[in-house]
Amino acid sequence: MSESTKVLVNKPLSIRKTANKKSRFFSNRLLLVGSILLVITTLIGVFASFLSPYEILEIDPKNRLAAPSNVHWFGTDNFGRDVFSRTMYGVRISLLIGVTVTLVASVIGLTVGLLASYYKLLDHIFMRICDGLFAFPSILLAIAIMSALGPKSINVIIALVLVFIPSIARIVRSAALVVKEKVFIEALQAQGASSLRILFLHIAPNILAPLIVQVTFVFAVTILTEASLSFLGAGIPAPLPSLGNMLYDGKLAIYNAWWMTVFPGLFIILIVLGLNLFGDGLRDYLDPKSKQTVKRRKNR
Amino acid sequence: MSQTMPLLKIEDLQVDFATHQGEVSAIDGVSFELEEGEILGVVGESGCGKSVTAEAILQLLDEDSTFYDGKIMFNGENLLEYDKKKMEKLRGNDIAMIFQDPMSSLNPVMSIGKQIAESIRIHQSATKKDAYKKAIELLKLTGIPSPDQRAKEYPHELSGGMRQRVMIAIALSCQPKLLIADEPTTALDVTIQAQILDLITSFQKQLNMGIILITHDFGVIANMCTKVAVMYLGQVIEETDVRTLFKRPFHPYTIGLMKSVPQIEGERVEHLHSIDGTVPSLFQIPKGCRFAPRCKYASSTCENKMPSLEIVEKNHRVRCWHYDEVKKGELIYAD
Amino acid sequence: MSGYIIKRLLSLIPVLLVVAVVVFLIIHITPGNPAMIILGEGATPEQIEELNQKLGLDKPLIAQFFIWLANIAQGDFGTSYFLGKPVLTAFLENAGPTLSLAVLSQLIGVSIALLLGIAAAKNQGRIKDDLISGTSLIGISIPSFLLGSFLIMIFAVQLKILPVSGYAPLSQGIWEHLKYLILPSITLGTIQAALITRMTRSSLLDTLSENFIKTAKAKGVSEKAILLKHTLRVAFLPILTVIGESFAGLVTGAAVTESLFNIPGLGQLIVASINRRDYAVIQGAVLMITVVYVLMNLLVDLLYAVIDPRVRNSYQA
Repeated sequence: MSESTKVLVNKPLSIRKTANKKSRFFSNRLLLVGSILLVITTLIGVFASFLSPYEILEIDPKNRLAAPSNVHWFGTDNFGRDVFSRTMYGVRISLLIGVTVTLVASVIGLTVGLLASYYKLLDHIFMRICDGLFAFPSILLAIAIMSALGPKSINVIIALVLVFIPSIARIVRSAALVVKEKVFIEALQAQGASSLRILFLHIAPNILAPLIVQVTFVFAVTILTEASLSFLGAGIPAPLPSLGNMLYDGKLAIYNAWWMTVFPGLFIILIVLGLNLFGDGLRDYLDPKSKQTVKRRKNR
Repeated sequence: MSQTMPLLKIEDLQVDFATHQGEVSAIDGVSFELEEGEILGVVGESGCGKSVTAEAILQLLDEDSTFYDGKIMFNGENLLEYDKKKMEKLRGNDIAMIFQDPMSSLNPVMSIGKQIAESIRIHQSATKKDAYKKAIELLKLTGIPSPDQRAKEYPHELSGGMRQRVMIAIALSCQPKLLIADEPTTALDVTIQAQILDLITSFQKQLNMGIILITHDFGVIANMCTKVAVMYLGQVIEETDVRTLFKRPFHPYTIGLMKSVPQIEGERVEHLHSIDGTVPSLFQIPKGCRFAPRCKYASSTCENKMPSLEIVEKNHRVRCWHYDEVKKGELIYAD
Repeated sequence: MSGYIIKRLLSLIPVLLVVAVVVFLIIHITPGNPAMIILGEGATPEQIEELNQKLGLDKPLIAQFFIWLANIAQGDFGTSYFLGKPVLTAFLENAGPTLSLAVLSQLIGVSIALLLGIAAAKNQGRIKDDLISGTSLIGISIPSFLLGSFLIMIFAVQLKILPVSGYAPLSQGIWEHLKYLILPSITLGTIQAALITRMTRSSLLDTLSENFIKTAKAKGVSEKAILLKHTLRVAFLPILTVIGESFAGLVTGAAVTESLFNIPGLGQLIVASINRRDYAVIQGAVLMITVVYVLMNLLVDLLYAVIDPRVRNSYQA
């Protein structure tokens, strides 16, 4: 039977009301689920201390490597520390690192990108440097910086900021170049507006959409990179728990204590997934005409 | 079969789209007929649904979010009932279409010879070689010099006028009975426009094709068409032969449109004529006659009841409650 | 066209110089003397001094830099004190495993991605698309070592059908060689697939909305032919970029996976060298990474020219 594509209707239609911003938000599943995940993980991070039944640094050698039970929901690690509590704090610390790195890298990247889009000379200098940094696999660059600076939490932040400035700067620069060509910029220049003014008051607001989407993805990659860094032993130093260094501890006991790996790993996935969903959903929400959007399908 | 059966007959075509902002009716009430060898002009402002109508005939609109109602009768069969395979056989073969912007309408990474040959291979089961040879001949017929050389080239290496000739070559490669031309000259320089229109006309005579010519340019209508349908906000509001349209338009919108075209002859006017108001969005279609909010002849009937497309004299249909008064009112072109 | 290639290759040089200078500075400015690290805590000042001289670390920075450059020009990338062999040798030895892993992973990734990406674009908005898009989204949200650990737990520990870790070179037989690479390449390949699927779907959707696709449809071209013949070719360019960049990333940055599966590749070499401040290796590694990256970009650009005639023209101009 050949496929028929006909849907013939013979009743007059009613035209639904124009969807406002709020219902567009809720009907965008990606955005919705992503936001929920993010809200949950943020709440965990903020209320980690309330959620943790045990002290995260408290050692209990008698109970080391205990499997999940009523007493220790996520089991204990090689020092007898409660994995559940450490995971809660791990979420907080990983999120803190993520937020800090992302904010700082965004501010610097925004500035660098804007300046590069406007001033030819700065463009050459900045972009050569960014190209050079970009060529580097982020993990190697981060390791190199960490080993140069020393194993401290603040250095993790510095390292990751340096690693991610180029990707933000690039997006900002491309988007700004497009805006720069628009006629209203020419009009402003003809009116005598100063370059800095044009850059920060006029071009910047118009590139916010792609910037925010990129920032979301950078946040996600930051979490992943911090995890990888710590997994290799070059990240957040023990005994402070980050989701990454908990995996480092778990690496050695992977065959007899799967819970040390599975639970922190699960939360990494949840956070990153939430961020990616949010980023995709945000992109669709900000540009509903984008062809990536899931089509409205017929439902009659 | 029967000589009196029109080539194309559209009856009460309705096309709705499912969009992010809800469902919208792009066309609601398009009807017209086209005989073999006739050239029908479809004229109206941007957004009135002319392109949607054209694309609906070949069902080029997005399958998943488009609803159709009404009938599109081609040679006696309702195209809206065709399945995918039948449509694919029909397209480019019995009915062909050319589009407004030839640069973006041609595949940028395929040589133009191959693009023309593709149609021939699909519909005439020709070999690659034969199809390619035919393609070169078609290029010659459309007036492109050194066709052997050009056939190897890519769209970006040709000028706008040449690209449109290529589109015409593609469209006519299988000698369609109906050609739909969606603003074929809008994107071209004025000097080239005439050449392209002449080319289309000469092919029309050779093949005795029916043509639907979509445009917003009354000059083109006057030059080429035998029949005209005027569209507003998704509906045909007047349909007649071309002389009558210019001499005795009945619908206030048509009259307004024609008055808006600046005249070279006659007295110089202080103000250019324009129609009051703006075209409403498709999401806020007025109840009753769609033109009523902007019409000087509008009455309460007009605002509440939608007029249907009625035959008011031989070969002349109008969608207006008050066409009687209008026809007494304003005559523009004495001849 | 060859003029274009030569120009691009020549542009490698200034990039390399910049990179070399930057890296050299970073390494030598940071605290920590390699001689001390090598000799350990119990070293006496005289021993440190002696080693310093031997390694040439006592000369002024600029001199060290130019000596290094001069050596490179002659093909001598220096010697690793820790490994006791020339840097170049160490690279070549470690390159094999990494390349095998990278090629295998990319093959897996690209084949899965193209299939899934096309299926997703074809079925946009339907369940198939949601599933594929959802899965690839999850795929880029998993850290590689997590996926790897998971695979190890199932296939190596529970089912015992594949080795937990380790490596065997090709010389030991193709099955031996592949046996150790299966789990790590599935690990990396899955993440590659997720990445490339997203780009494939995205690029296809963008291209499908172009005007020339409408023309093809109006000609009566079948749906399959529209997708494969018209859309894919044009959509392939951005996909190619992602394939190229991600491959470069596999070669230079698979350190974590190599560490997890204990594969003696470039990633492991570089990480270890960074940790023990093996300057010679680090500097050589930096240059090598830059070269790989630039060459990869060049290759992608050349392929662009093969696929897209518009690009071809601009290169010949």
